[in-house]
Amino acid sequence: MNYDFSDKEFNLFVEIHTLISEFVKDKNLESSDINTSAENIRQALALLSQTPYLKLGVEKAENYNGLLTLMGAMEVIAGTSPSLFLSIETSTRIFGRILSTWGSDSQKEKLLNPLLNGQIIGAVGLSEDALNVDNDPLTTTAVADGDSVKISGHKQYVINGPTADWIAVVGMMNGKNVICLVEKGTPGLTIGEKTATLGYEGVAISKIILNDCTIASSQVITPKNDKDMLNTLKLWENQILIGAGLGLMKTAFESAKDHSKKHKTGGKPIIAYQEVGFKLSEMLTLFQTSQLFAYRAAWTADTDPKNVESLTLCAKVFCTESAEQVASEAMKILGGSGFLSGHPVEEAFRCSKYGQIAGTSTEISRVKIGDTALGMNK
Amino acid sequence: MDFAFTKEQLMFKKEIIRFAKKEIVPRVQEHDLKKQFDFEAFKKLGEFGILGLHFPEEYGGSGADVITTVMAGEALGEAGVDGGLTLAYGAHTFLCADTIFSHGTEEQRKKYIPKLASGEWIGCMGLTEPNAGSDVASLATTAEKKGDKYVLNGSKIFITNGPLADVSVIYAKTDPEQKHTGISAFIVEKGTKGFSSGPNLIKMGVSTSQTSELFFNNCEIPAENLLGDEGEGFNMSLQTVEWDRSALLAPFVGAATYMMTRCVDYAKSREQFGRKIGKFQAIKQKIANIRIFGEAARNLVYRIAWCKDQGRPMNHLEAAVAKLFVGDWSLGPANDAVVLFGGYGYCHEYDMERIFRDSRLAPIGGGTSDIQKMIISKLM
Ligand SMILES: Cc1cc2nc3c(=O)[nH]c(=O)nc-3n(C[C@H](O)[C@H](O)[C@H](O)COP(=O)(O)OP(=O)(O)OC[C@H]3O[C@@H](n4cnc5c(N)ncnc54)[C@H](O)[C@@H]3O)c2cc1C
Ligand SMILES: Cc1cc2nc3c(=O)[nH]c(=O)nc-3n(C[C@H](O)[C@H](O)[C@H](O)COP(=O)(O)OP(=O)(O)OC[C@H]3O[C@@H](n4cnc5c(N)ncnc54)[C@H](O)[C@@H]3O)c2cc1C
Repeated sequence: MNYDFSDKEFNLFVEIHTLISEFVKDKNLESSDINTSAENIRQALALLSQTPYLKLGVEKAENYNGLLTLMGAMEVIAGTSPSLFLSIETSTRIFGRILSTWGSDSQKEKLLNPLLNGQIIGAVGLSEDALNVDNDPLTTTAVADGDSVKISGHKQYVINGPTADWIAVVGMMNGKNVICLVEKGTPGLTIGEKTATLGYEGVAISKIILNDCTIASSQVITPKNDKDMLNTLKLWENQILIGAGLGLMKTAFESAKDHSKKHKTGGKPIIAYQEVGFKLSEMLTLFQTSQLFAYRAAWTADTDPKNVESLTLCAKVFCTESAEQVASEAMKILGGSGFLSGHPVEEAFRCSKYGQIAGTSTEISRVKIGDTALGMNK
Repeated sequence: MDFAFTKEQLMFKKEIIRFAKKEIVPRVQEHDLKKQFDFEAFKKLGEFGILGLHFPEEYGGSGADVITTVMAGEALGEAGVDGGLTLAYGAHTFLCADTIFSHGTEEQRKKYIPKLASGEWIGCMGLTEPNAGSDVASLATTAEKKGDKYVLNGSKIFITNGPLADVSVIYAKTDPEQKHTGISAFIVEKGTKGFSSGPNLIKMGVSTSQTSELFFNNCEIPAENLLGDEGEGFNMSLQTVEWDRSALLAPFVGAATYMMTRCVDYAKSREQFGRKIGKFQAIKQKIANIRIFGEAARNLVYRIAWCKDQGRPMNHLEAAVAKLFVGDWSLGPANDAVVLFGGYGYCHEYDMERIFRDSRLAPIGGGTSDIQKMIISKLM
């Protein structure tokens, strides 16, 4: 047992913290302009590719602890810019892991190396119009046509949709779930307008429509166990949302704490009032408990993959619910200042709602955790 | 970072669960109903080695590390041992015996630890007073030095094992003018003239543990019964906090696993509307809540244990976080477990209502949740 990060891991956290906080200084990361978003992600990816960050969880990174190190590092990036975080992670940790886990050597050669060098942006189209893949089969279909494959269907929300160079589209082919790697500009691929959202405004999210979109059959990935594939994609998404939760809590808690020590009423700093100080104590309790939960779930993913799904759902429910609660309480401690648009905590509060909706939703997660305990897994 | 337990630790945990299920759990409900201490179960804990697990072998212990010791508490909870017996064990081993072990002279150690480790003697610790609970430093019991004796006057309340104890560690003021620095710790033996205990206080939960007042009326004890030096008492009581936040919380973590297992079994057997209630999402949600709480709490408790094994000075903030979380966040899951059993959950025959009652001590005993928040907000 060991509850400490290594010195090497700590140094990495400090390094990426320095890089990213320097980077965000003169940028508008919450801009809803697509070109600005694209430029921001490209620059951030290039910057991070100088560190082992992009490799974590995707490829072996010597002397680091895989997902566990990643979880610590995710908190740093998500705590600096939630939007940048979500874009980077979707590209690196979902698109990237699709390639590293199931991709052929030539697909890896062509896409994974540039991805980890920060040269391309990836996106993933999984969930569909009013469909949660947990309940219903996918309606996007791929049909073989000689040496090529024709894809038709649409995906409702695709992170990085408008900015991605490549999109991994999940659909059905011959009754099995497959992943089609579709390059930007492929005929038959239409990228929708950027969707306006409550939080994460700096992330370019759109609908994508595929209409007999034709790709080479070498761009189709057919994992052996296609049912597991969908669960694995959700697992990766859940891991990202856990990391986002930690970052949002960090922002909200630190900001509220600092404010409560500086801001005075009745001649005392407001932290001296129990209504404020005790609230902060509860927030810190949720934050620390979430951190340990997230680290153990990440550690389990690396050491005991058989038991990871259910434990990750537990961690996801806890961390995302805590993030929403901590952000909400922080707003109250910040008083009027936290309600002003553009305040980091106001932003964290809005973003926090997403964690419970996306990935495996809080409700479905609880059902699945129950199913596992009851031995009723489908 | 690494969350793995060793093979030996895991095997030992299994052994304790097997032992407790066979030897202790069948006796729990009856004793709980009668609000009686289970002497036989306590003796069995001693024979199995649990009461003295972390003491060196020369004092009748097993020299276990802190993680293994904490694991024993978790295992007892997981097996279904009641919170009363685990509290009695906690007060005995950690609040009483460990204080003597950590601060006593070689003579004191030799005299008390082996008999406490075996369970031949029962120990208690008296800190809280009728007018000094959260504000411990205002305690009013005095210990006046007279020649080679100390004379104790005052009273204690809510003392676990109070009516039973052969050996008591008692905190009293040697310098009533001072607050924290005026407090000293003493060993008081059963039968000492001027020392008596009140009747067992009837409580909401942890009913098999016996709780009482202690009275000191010109109670004379030999001067060599002082633990450490005069004025060191408050710091000694702070040191037990590490155990309080790990070993004494561990049974609550184990109890969450126990609740989950029992709820799962019940949900698989109980039928309503023509199907097993486990098929209803509302039931799955409750089971999920219990699991999430247990998994979250476990990490916090073992973090304290691991740090203590590393010989680190106690991190009061992390300890308070663990206590606060187990105390306040256990209410929902414990309630879910009762409700999952429906009317049966409300009845004594099924032990969910007992666990619910037992769990309500967590936000009070050993420092209330408010006090934990006070500590956290001061240290942050
Ligand atoms: C901003 C944003 C970005 C996104 N980005 C991506 C992306 O990049 N790629 C991608 O593939 N997807 C993406 N998504 C989709 C996201 O993963 C889905 O929104 C999510 O899975 C929920 O699906 P849904 O909206 O269809 O809701 P539904 O599944 O219809 O759920 C509605 C409600 O019903 C509950 N519910 C549904 N079924 C059950 C059940 N069986 N038991 C109990 N309760 C149930 C849910 O918990 C929820 O409360 C994004 C979504 C948003 C909002
Ligand atoms: C079953 C049981 C077993 C026990 N065993 C032992 C034992 O073995 N040895 C021992 O010494 N003691 C023991 N105790 C005592 C226990 O530690 C105390 O009950 C506890 O510390 C609280 O003290 P109190 O009861 O005097 O409450 P008080 O301190 O009077 O508190 C009353 C209320 O006021 C709140 N409060 C107090 N101060 C503040 C503040 N500054 N800010 C905000 N809120 C505040 C508290 O949170 C609480 O809600 C036991 C108690 C119980 C119930």
